[in-house]
Amino acid sequence: MIEQIVFYMLAAVIILSALGVVLLPGVMHSALCLGLCLAGVAGVFASLGSDFIFAAQILVYVSGIAVLILFVVLLAGSASDLVTRQINEQWLPSLLICAAFIWSFLRIPAYFSGITAKSDPAPTVRALAGALLGDYAVPFELISIVLLASMTGAVLFARRKAE
Amino acid sequence: MEETIQPKFSEPVFNRSHGRLLMPENRYWPTRMWKNPWSLPTYRRGAAVLAGLLSGAAGAAWLLGEIGPRVAPLYSMAEQYALSYGIPLFLVQTAWTVIKAAVLLAVPLVNALFAVWWERKISAHMQSRMGPMYVGRWHGALQTIADGIKLFLKEDLVPESADKIVHLLAPVAVIIPAILVFAPIPFGRELVYADLDIGTVYVFAVGGVSVMGIIMAGWASGNKFSLLGGLRSAAQLVSYELPRTFSVIPVIMLAGTLNLSAIAGLQAGYWGGVLPRWFIFYPVVGQVAFVVFLIASVAETNRIPFDIPEAESELVAGFNTEYSGMKFALFFLSEFAYVLLSCLLMAAFFFGGGEPPLPFLGFLPSWAWFLGKTLVLMFCFLWFRWTFPRFRVDRLMDFNWKFLLPVSLLNIAAAGVLIWFLDCWAAGLLGG
Repeated sequence: MIEQIVFYMLAAVIILSALGVVLLPGVMHSALCLGLCLAGVAGVFASLGSDFIFAAQILVYVSGIAVLILFVVLLAGSASDLVTRQINEQWLPSLLICAAFIWSFLRIPAYFSGITAKSDPAPTVRALAGALLGDYAVPFELISIVLLASMTGAVLFARRKAE
Repeated sequence: MEETIQPKFSEPVFNRSHGRLLMPENRYWPTRMWKNPWSLPTYRRGAAVLAGLLSGAAGAAWLLGEIGPRVAPLYSMAEQYALSYGIPLFLVQTAWTVIKAAVLLAVPLVNALFAVWWERKISAHMQSRMGPMYVGRWHGALQTIADGIKLFLKEDLVPESADKIVHLLAPVAVIIPAILVFAPIPFGRELVYADLDIGTVYVFAVGGVSVMGIIMAGWASGNKFSLLGGLRSAAQLVSYELPRTFSVIPVIMLAGTLNLSAIAGLQAGYWGGVLPRWFIFYPVVGQVAFVVFLIASVAETNRIPFDIPEAESELVAGFNTEYSGMKFALFFLSEFAYVLLSCLLMAAFFFGGGEPPLPFLGFLPSWAWFLGKTLVLMFCFLWFRWTFPRFRVDRLMDFNWKFLLPVSLLNIAAAGVLIWFLDCWAAGLLGG
């Protein structure tokens, strides 16, 4: 009962703010709506009992990526960004493409919709850490090397442009 | 021949409580005071009052005893009561959660009430002033309440060029994380709202969301000073978040858990019966982690010497220039809430939470020790504010990226070496 109320409230927040991201005039409003949308997704994670994913979602997406996007909007924006409409005359084809994507994505959760959690949510950090630094240590380290390489590349490009 | 009437300035008249402060022997305060402070009766009386207050607080804490273990029986009592009268348990649980949340909500409010007054008194005494003296008779004790009433009665101004909705929502976006973030904080043994297994990650994650509110405030005010303040603030908070988080990782490595009350509880006990097993006393690693965390926390709370987001002499008041009344009060409240949070975290991570510093001091309850350590650390925060000059913007960034971040990363490696060394020690491989 309570779970359902919470879920529908969170779903309303996510959908409305996601619509706000693409429909609101002004880049800043869209960026703020994106932050709200990501926070709503974190709320869904929390209500499903996956505590670490919830905290990581907030840490990485809401207070990391959304803030960086806001930062970019503040630094690199122009005055016209604040009033520009985001919808041009090609909205109908894009809507159709989105509908196709939604239809195909819907088939994935439909496959799992019969499965419900068997027990109460339990802390997940220990199991996650064991998996990341045990069984999946090599892929984990490979991903960090890729990230490090991309970071170094970004620094290199930025420096070359400055010269 | 008439005498010219000399304009005679009357002796200043003070009311009773104030006159005592400016009695003839105190007229030359503070110059004469510093020569031989203990010769002044007011100084001796002040020290006696302070000692009396401290011992009174300690006595009250001793009489109250531990609060945490008494909470759970209270809840089961309420459950029994509900069962015997046929009230559904669902209602009891809801009421219990609401009561707990209300108590938690009171934490930042009461903290601001006290901390603002304390900050004004400390700043005043550091600058040889009196600070607030009138409201509340005793050393202006009720000054913050008067300030609060003033802020309530103020007109709520919204600038013509502001983005109305974002301007309205910005203080909300700042204050909500500032309240939510207190959920997993232990205030003593078993005295915690939600004993989250991921407490540390939760605190850093939710605490970081307030940056969004600050950017919103800076942008939506439609004022160039606000915009600059918001921009600086975003840069500073995002940058200093990294060394702040990395400096805690050694503590987490040593403790082996993310649960805040478990981290605090692990530091019980003493080396050689004297030196408490606090994480700050672990050689080198503990001290470096603490200093990095302290510096980054001061920067995260936008306080001097890292207050470039609201530098008064450059940016009027930074991101909250265009806010008045209760909206401004919310920004203020959240700033002090984050100061309290940093001090609580430092007490839990580095100073053993509710554990007494010496074995024979265990007669005081754990919440009293926790609160005492937090207040001492908070005094340090207020002390820094009136001691250091402000950083320049580029220096601030240099200091973070070229000094604090490498140091905190090296410290993680050092913590690994320390753990390896301690394991060898425990296994008896070193020197037998």
